[in-house]
Amino acid sequence: MMQGNIWISLNPLGSAQSMTLVLRFQIRPSYGRATFAPGTSSEQPSSNPQFRGLRVILADDDALNRTVTKKLLEKLGCEVTAVSSGFECLSALSSAENSVRLVVLDIQLPEMHGFEVATRIRKVRSRSWPLLK
Amino acid sequence: MERTRLRRQVALTRQSLFDQGFLDEQFIQLEDLQDDANPNFVEEVVTLYYRDSARLITNIEKALEKNSLDFNKLDGFMHQFKGSSSSIGAKKVKAECTLFREYCRAGNGEGCTRTFQQIKKEYATLKRKLEAYFQVVRQAGPAETACWPK
Repeated sequence: MMQGNIWISLNPLGSAQSMTLVLRFQIRPSYGRATFAPGTSSEQPSSNPQFRGLRVILADDDALNRTVTKKLLEKLGCEVTAVSSGFECLSALSSAENSVRLVVLDIQLPEMHGFEVATRIRKVRSRSWPLLK
Repeated sequence: MERTRLRRQVALTRQSLFDQGFLDEQFIQLEDLQDDANPNFVEEVVTLYYRDSARLITNIEKALEKNSLDFNKLDGFMHQFKGSSSSIGAKKVKAECTLFREYCRAGNGEGCTRTFQQIKKEYATLKRKLEAYFQVVRQAGPAETACWPK
């Protein structure tokens, strides 16, 4: 598992819109070493054990992309909250507190650019308070 | 048996959509996402596509009617439309969208208008074909949606 923020350009559907994956993993003892014994997974052969139960917020203003990406993430085993704007993304994060591990952002969100959302998330999640408005 | 006949019809119809170039691998990606939890996922996504993109088509149409064309705006609309079309594997539609965007970049209004007519044609044809396809899928019954020959 990775520590800190990593920007990956994710284009799982080969669509024209690019998506940015923001990985925020805090070190937790339960994740430790993810050794994977053969035969242990599962009901869903396509799901990755590291993704199972992973809480994700997906932000995309396009309903079609949102639907498909959400399903894709769910197939991986993630628990997905889908929102359609940067603001909704931020409020979903604040109510979920620390349980959200992954935020998938469309770079072109209405009102607030994807990068700005990510910057705000970073500021909120850093060790120092107060919360940024 | 009726079921077998229907299943065969589904398979043939589906294959022809690929063979005739209407759909590409992206459609298969959608099929792979379909499961017991969402047994009609593909049809739902396609329905969503046609619903959402209708608005884009109207916007592009209006933008093309202007005396002085805003190519940036047109390109922006088309970028979105192409993205959606790509997501459902609409191969021919996507190809025409690419051509449209090239005309936008070249500032060629006539090329845009001409290509847009072609886009609408392909878009409508695909809609008809997919509607017919899903109808057969529904007739064949739920078991059919589960696994496809790759």
